[in-house]
Amino acid sequence: MKKTYIPKLDDILGGGIIDNASVMFSAVPGVDYEAFGYQMLNGRLGEGDKGFIFTNVAEPETIIYEFRSYGWDLEKFLKDTQAFFVDGTSPFMGLPSDAKYSIEDYSQVEDVILEAIEDVPDGIGIINNLSTLIDYLGEDETINIIKKWNSHGKKYNASLIYLFTKWDYNHDLIQNLKKSMDCVVEIKTIEERVIIGQGFMVAHSSWSEPSDTMVLFFVVQPGGVKVYIPKILVTGPYNAGKSTFVKKISKKSVSVDRKALSAFPTTIALDIGHLEYKGFIADVFGTPGQERFDLLLDVLGRESVGAFIIVDSTAPQTFARAKEMIRKAKAEAIPKVLIANKQDLPGALSPEEIREKMKLGEDIPIIPAIVTEGKGVTDALEALLGLLYGD
Amino acid sequence: MIELIVRISSGIPGLDKLVGGGGGSFAENTVTLVYGPPKVGKSVFSYQFAFEGLRNNEPCLYISTDYGLKDIERNIANFGWNLDEYIENESFYFIDAISTIAGVEVESKPNYFLSSVHNPTDIMVKLGMAMRQIISKSPRFRSVLDSLTTLMAFNDEVLIVRVLTVYIMRIKESGGTAIVTYTEGSASSKVENMLKAIVDNIIHLDGENLTIEAMIGGGKVKGQYDITPKGIVVD
Repeated sequence: MKKTYIPKLDDILGGGIIDNASVMFSAVPGVDYEAFGYQMLNGRLGEGDKGFIFTNVAEPETIIYEFRSYGWDLEKFLKDTQAFFVDGTSPFMGLPSDAKYSIEDYSQVEDVILEAIEDVPDGIGIINNLSTLIDYLGEDETINIIKKWNSHGKKYNASLIYLFTKWDYNHDLIQNLKKSMDCVVEIKTIEERVIIGQGFMVAHSSWSEPSDTMVLFFVVQPGGVKVYIPKILVTGPYNAGKSTFVKKISKKSVSVDRKALSAFPTTIALDIGHLEYKGFIADVFGTPGQERFDLLLDVLGRESVGAFIIVDSTAPQTFARAKEMIRKAKAEAIPKVLIANKQDLPGALSPEEIREKMKLGEDIPIIPAIVTEGKGVTDALEALLGLLYGD
Repeated sequence: MIELIVRISSGIPGLDKLVGGGGGSFAENTVTLVYGPPKVGKSVFSYQFAFEGLRNNEPCLYISTDYGLKDIERNIANFGWNLDEYIENESFYFIDAISTIAGVEVESKPNYFLSSVHNPTDIMVKLGMAMRQIISKSPRFRSVLDSLTTLMAFNDEVLIVRVLTVYIMRIKESGGTAIVTYTEGSASSKVENMLKAIVDNIIHLDGENLTIEAMIGGGKVKGQYDITPKGIVVD
């Protein structure tokens, strides 16, 4: 097995891709998905594997620049001849090409790529872009060529990764393409007038039975493909430690505070944080605990995909309020983790005691925490991610 | 007769009257093909359409395959219109699909997107990014794609028909009104017919006459035009 270096994808595929797999990333137009191929290549090169990029959409210089913007150094691998380009762009633009292979006419593409595959035994080849190839070569010829490349890939134990933009091709072509691949990853959009999110899903894999969950992602520079959690709600009774939790869990956070007359601050609007953890990105919203702000709970709850409920483990009299807040945030319907905060204080109840008192089901993880010291924060995050992504 | 179609102004003096649609030319949320031989004013037509929208607080998403932003600014300034203010207040969004090819260094702005004529997949990605910003500001906007001809020079013609189909779908779904330009005879007649089939309105320019070959809610009409120091004027 080889890793894909795409967060979450290896898990879905049962550990990664088989060594000589042919993989197609099939994306609806408008989705930013070139990074999937580049990220896989970068990861494999980093492992010492050989690799190439066939491009008919951008000159090698542009792709090197893109790698740089993701924070990956392709030039080093090119210099070491560990990686090379098959340039199907520059000659068509009348530009000189110093790539190892360049294609001046599409009739050469079949043989040149076969040769390139032989140059990367046990390595990886990225084909960007399959759609452009189809439009030049025609549908039947492209399918034939792909079959030859894939069987050559099997022979040389190389992975072949195809980037395919799903313009309005006919159904049969798409089916035939899928049949020619060991694995197909569909890249889709979440749309509400415009694209508001994008996610990937494994449609088919010859070596495993992947689950049909859609993983939301972002492409960020630097960084590449990162799994995305749109919004996470942090709620709980007054003075349970929500603001501190948002601060601890976030890389950046903003608190809309107002100093009360007694001069200790409490959140009167929102705590907003942004977290990045093991390739996962999320926006975190902490709500005020006082009842007069319950309206916010409804709004935020509706938009959230997961929630942290924080309670003060020494204050069982607030547990009823915590349950009410779960209801008001409509958090019954979203994955949630309960954080049993203030475990360092005398009289703190244990997670199991809290579960009993609050009558919570076993499906809700309860994480003991001392949020002020950052203890339990990562555990809580791991627990929620586990729920969201079915770990 | 009651006019049920909401029409928006073209920005071209005389054209709205020629269409006869009571105050506007193009039905809102439609896509118009502007085509003709080289150098008859297709780009000028695009500038006027875009600028008219900007003047009326409608953001514009401009995809340029022939000129970078500086060139467009200068071309527009030649007619006495100033784009700066709209670039500055981020109501003019620009997808530059040519500067990378020309190797020009461009400074990055939130409403400026660099792409490549060679990479329609990337153009669509940038279109999506720009539209996300635009529709958070305004429920209506204008878009220009100038020109299909250059995209066809760098890609297979059929692929560009596919790209245009997606472009039209995206613009319409999000409430935009667009024009696309194309140089007559630069693609096969089969592809030219496909282009005409997927747009709503068709305007032909030949240097003397402006012919509305198809227009939602209107018939075929013809008028003479001139390219003046104030842009295209239909007599």
